[in-house]
Amino acid sequence: MEVVLIILVVGMTRGMIKESAKRIEGIGADIVFQPPGSSYILASSTAAMLEKIAGVIQETEGVDAVAPVMVQFNTQGGIGLIYGIDVASFDRVTNGFSFIQGRAFRAPDEVIIDDIQAKSKRLQVGDRVDFLNHSFRVSGIFEHGKGSRIFLPLRTMQELTGTPGKVTLIFIKCKDKEEIPAVSSRLRERFKGYTVSPLSEFVSQVYNATNNVAALKYFLNVVIFVCTSVGFFAIFLAMYTAVTERKREIGILKSLGASRPYVLAIFLKEAFVLCTVGLALGIALSFWGKALLLRVLPSFQVEIGLDWIVKAALIAFLSAGLGAFYPALRASSQDPIDALAE
Amino acid sequence: MKTILEAIDVKKIYKVGRVEVPALRGVSLKMREGEFISIMGPSGCGKSTLLHILGGLTHPSEGKVIVDGEEISSAKDAARTDIRRRKIGFVFQRYNLLPTLSAQGNLDIAREIFKNGRAHDEHTKEILELLGLDHKTKHKPSEMSGGEQQRVAIARAVINRPAILLADEPTGNLDSENSQAVLSLLQELNRTLNQSIIMITHNPEAAAVANRLVQMRDGRIISYEHDLSWNAREDKIYI
Repeated sequence: MEVVLIILVVGMTRGMIKESAKRIEGIGADIVFQPPGSSYILASSTAAMLEKIAGVIQETEGVDAVAPVMVQFNTQGGIGLIYGIDVASFDRVTNGFSFIQGRAFRAPDEVIIDDIQAKSKRLQVGDRVDFLNHSFRVSGIFEHGKGSRIFLPLRTMQELTGTPGKVTLIFIKCKDKEEIPAVSSRLRERFKGYTVSPLSEFVSQVYNATNNVAALKYFLNVVIFVCTSVGFFAIFLAMYTAVTERKREIGILKSLGASRPYVLAIFLKEAFVLCTVGLALGIALSFWGKALLLRVLPSFQVEIGLDWIVKAALIAFLSAGLGAFYPALRASSQDPIDALAE
Repeated sequence: MKTILEAIDVKKIYKVGRVEVPALRGVSLKMREGEFISIMGPSGCGKSTLLHILGGLTHPSEGKVIVDGEEISSAKDAARTDIRRRKIGFVFQRYNLLPTLSAQGNLDIAREIFKNGRAHDEHTKEILELLGLDHKTKHKPSEMSGGEQQRVAIARAVINRPAILLADEPTGNLDSENSQAVLSLLQELNRTLNQSIIMITHNPEAAAVANRLVQMRDGRIISYEHDLSWNAREDKIYI
């Protein structure tokens, strides 16, 4: 269970982050412009920038197109980010959506969703769905990989969040890819204090969120600690019971002249075998769990990497070794006469 | 003939709460190589305690025990275990075979613990044949009779050619036929392999197979009886 929990929790975290980063990359913009003090974890961002700034950015040398976006964290009908956009400007930066069904929104109460969201919630064009405590009609389903899974009209989003004229970030497309560094410099110079990130840099930060975001790192460390504790106690109880039940056998071995290290090694080896079997099962169950999650919750991405399988294995063996050590020590110290009297 | 075991004024006192219970009150015993000694006495006379001390399973409160030239009584646990591994074989009333291992497995583990120091295949085969066990090597203890289990236990005890074999009521759980078979085996080991044996028993008939009888009572040795034919060989009186 320890191994399954570690691999799946870390896998879900990494999978969600990686998938999120891929979708941001899929927008096709060159620069991300954010207000001062912003984070690349968009879920923690708030609309704190005037939308009008987009117009000023558009005039900057080297800028081809700009798309102001409001990002809102949604917990209704699922967990994820909702982008509020102006379709025309977003299309200029991203080259538009590839619609599988329907079309972009034209009315304030229309919404477009990606195919994974549609599959996950079993939605079709024309269905109604609730976000931000408001009912929307699904006007189109597009191919996933364009920033968010859910897009609303920017004005509607601003009204519903009570932040008219404000946006969270602005995606910028440059006239020439070669000009990205120069355009970035100009924007930093003109808008001092604002966060200007070439998209590649922004995406790289998102990919490394598990290392860079303190809260996330803390969360993972807590999960790993809890899982390790579970493993430790499981092995401890198993070995303690084994020692208690096999007291007589220990006495026999000692009467044969088995030394303390010999008896200690027997129980540590047993723990090692138990751990190895548990590890193999845990890894197999993790992959099965991943398949199950993808089937039941298609929007949940799970990434199981070899690095974390190795780490989970090391953690498992460490916790098993620690958990088995005291019972093994107890076994090796048993008085043979008392043990044989059992 | 060399002295294989010597116990000098061995005492053992157990503390039960605040009360001190003397299990042995000063036992002295000398054993020559190749002897077969029976120790008899009523329950609670200290026979098993003496055997445990002679075998290094516990240490005496006072006194000395020397096994094949090595003092075991004052040795620390690791040293006592080492001497026990190299020089002492145990046979118990309840056989004490490892239940998850076959007959061969029980012998193998004894050899493994001994680290294959002196054991070798010819000797193993010799032991198995001598004990009539060559057809039972793959059987687990649950698939063997009491007599067969005890023979496996004896084989395991002697597989590493210990200096001394200590047998604690080896026929206590056996019927008369199996008892006789086990006693005959012990005699055969003593005669054929010159194995030194100390056996504890309640049974006078069992005790009679030995060539020296030691009687105990209340933690003391009260008499020694000798096989006259043995003493005639040595032309000595030996206590």
